[in-house]
Amino acid sequence: MRVEYINPFVEAAYNVLTEVLATDVKRGNLFLKSATKPVMGVAAIVGLAGEVEGRVLFDMNKQTATKIASVMNMEELTEIDDLVKATISELANMITAQAVTKLHELGFKFDLTPPALITGDNMEISDQEVEALIVPMDTPHGSIEINVAVRERS
Amino acid sequence: MSTNTDLTKGQKDADRLAKIDFKMISFTLAGKDYGIDILKVKEIRKAGNFTKVPNTPVFVRGVDNLRGDIIPIIDLRTMFNLPAETKDKESQENIVILRLESLVLGIVVDTIEKVVGFSFGSIQPPHPIFGDINIKYISGVVENAGRLYIILDVDRIFGEPEEPAETHSENVPGQPEASAAVAVEAPQGAEVPLDLQFVAETLQAFGQFHLSPLNRGWVSARLEDWKKSRKERGLDFQLTQKDEAEEFLLKFASPGSGRLWSAEDVASLSELLSFSSPSLTVWNPGCGRGYESYSLAMLFQTRFSGKAYKIWASDNDLLSISTAPSLILDDDEVELPWREFTVQTKNGLQFNSDIKARIVFEFHDLNHLNPLSEVHLVVVRDVISFLRTPDQEKLLTEISEKVRPGGYLVLGTNERLEHPEWKSIGQGTWSVYQKI
Repeated sequence: MRVEYINPFVEAAYNVLTEVLATDVKRGNLFLKSATKPVMGVAAIVGLAGEVEGRVLFDMNKQTATKIASVMNMEELTEIDDLVKATISELANMITAQAVTKLHELGFKFDLTPPALITGDNMEISDQEVEALIVPMDTPHGSIEINVAVRERS
Repeated sequence: MSTNTDLTKGQKDADRLAKIDFKMISFTLAGKDYGIDILKVKEIRKAGNFTKVPNTPVFVRGVDNLRGDIIPIIDLRTMFNLPAETKDKESQENIVILRLESLVLGIVVDTIEKVVGFSFGSIQPPHPIFGDINIKYISGVVENAGRLYIILDVDRIFGEPEEPAETHSENVPGQPEASAAVAVEAPQGAEVPLDLQFVAETLQAFGQFHLSPLNRGWVSARLEDWKKSRKERGLDFQLTQKDEAEEFLLKFASPGSGRLWSAEDVASLSELLSFSSPSLTVWNPGCGRGYESYSLAMLFQTRFSGKAYKIWASDNDLLSISTAPSLILDDDEVELPWREFTVQTKNGLQFNSDIKARIVFEFHDLNHLNPLSEVHLVVVRDVISFLRTPDQEKLLTEISEKVRPGGYLVLGTNERLEHPEWKSIGQGTWSVYQKI
């Protein structure tokens, strides 16, 4: 994971979450992971392609997803319905887009794929080939893990 | 009484003979009887003088040509840490050729006996006391004609590529035929002197420093010095605190770490290196704050200026590596010859964009995979000794795979590598190895 990529993702996640949730967001300690990792329940994936390739995964449990979607839509949502799914996808899009914009400014050119949302129990994600950077974010509605696995195209 | 038991025994044998539905090839390993399901066995033969394959685990004897098919030959005795008589190269070994789902391979055993048939129902589940082989590789035990056969589960043993390597750590160390890999994983075995073992344990606990063949020479020598100096001060040589472990390790650090290399250092290192390829990949794991990587960039800039080179530097300390891309230098840190590579910024001296563009700094854990495939120079000073001993072995194997013949490996001044693939060409403070 190239050092220059780390900050844009951390900053974008912090900025966007603070703004849309209108509350304090705390960043946990970053760490690296390469083995299979369990997914908490709701995961939005945004792919990156171009000079840099990889993917960004936003991982949270169902409760957190519904609460965040409720705040963002300013209405009380209770289950993972289409609106919640669309909201979480949009959140993933906003964060990744802001990070990519920052990276563009630094001279790294690449594009995003539309976010895909996956929900379910007992899921795991494995990317054996790439080491992932985990950025844990704590919000009053629960924690979100941002899992960035990108590498230079070799 | 005796006739009665004979009768029942005879009856039982007759019963078993009546339904022979399982046959196996029986053979011996270190005096014990083993069997393998005959359906897994393709043939048995005698062969020898196998072609050795570099960079394989010790239990791989090499490859053999089986009527045009190249098959790997594995020594089951080495694999399971059993004693094996060493035969000279020319002599013939007993080979059982196995046909598994995905591969055909040969295993070397002591003697091959016969085909034994019996009823599948008479196989009993394995019991830990039955042999020197890990229970998960045994599918059962069977008694036949007064002998006890241990039936090996060859699919388990050879099915998954990861499994064989693990058998080493699961076996009891100190077997007579302790292989090289075992010796590395258990450096605190019987052959390590007791005081060295004590010191090694404390260094591991306090300094995250792991004794291995790489640094054992230095640790032993340092221990002698340490004992002397502690005696003069009237102290016991044992390390009891963190700062003592740090003091012990103080002299381990290579000269020039944590700052830019001097012009003489760069000159003496570059004299040892020569590259034929026009574009070079340099790998610098454990680069810390980046001084080493920048020093390397200046070495290439001054000595190999015609080459296109890229330095991949990484560290798992986020704080250090984050500052590396825009390292700020004090004026007195930069020797005169290096001035031309720096620019003055409002925060202080920095390297110019030419140098910066040559280095990619990565936040990376060495225990994870990395995408580099072909590397010409690896500079990994005072890093490997601080990994866990099995990880050290793994990383060195990875380096051996990634570096092409003719490529170089630079270790810490006090680290030594004994490996048939690497030739030591280092001198002075440089511990440099060239791949053969």
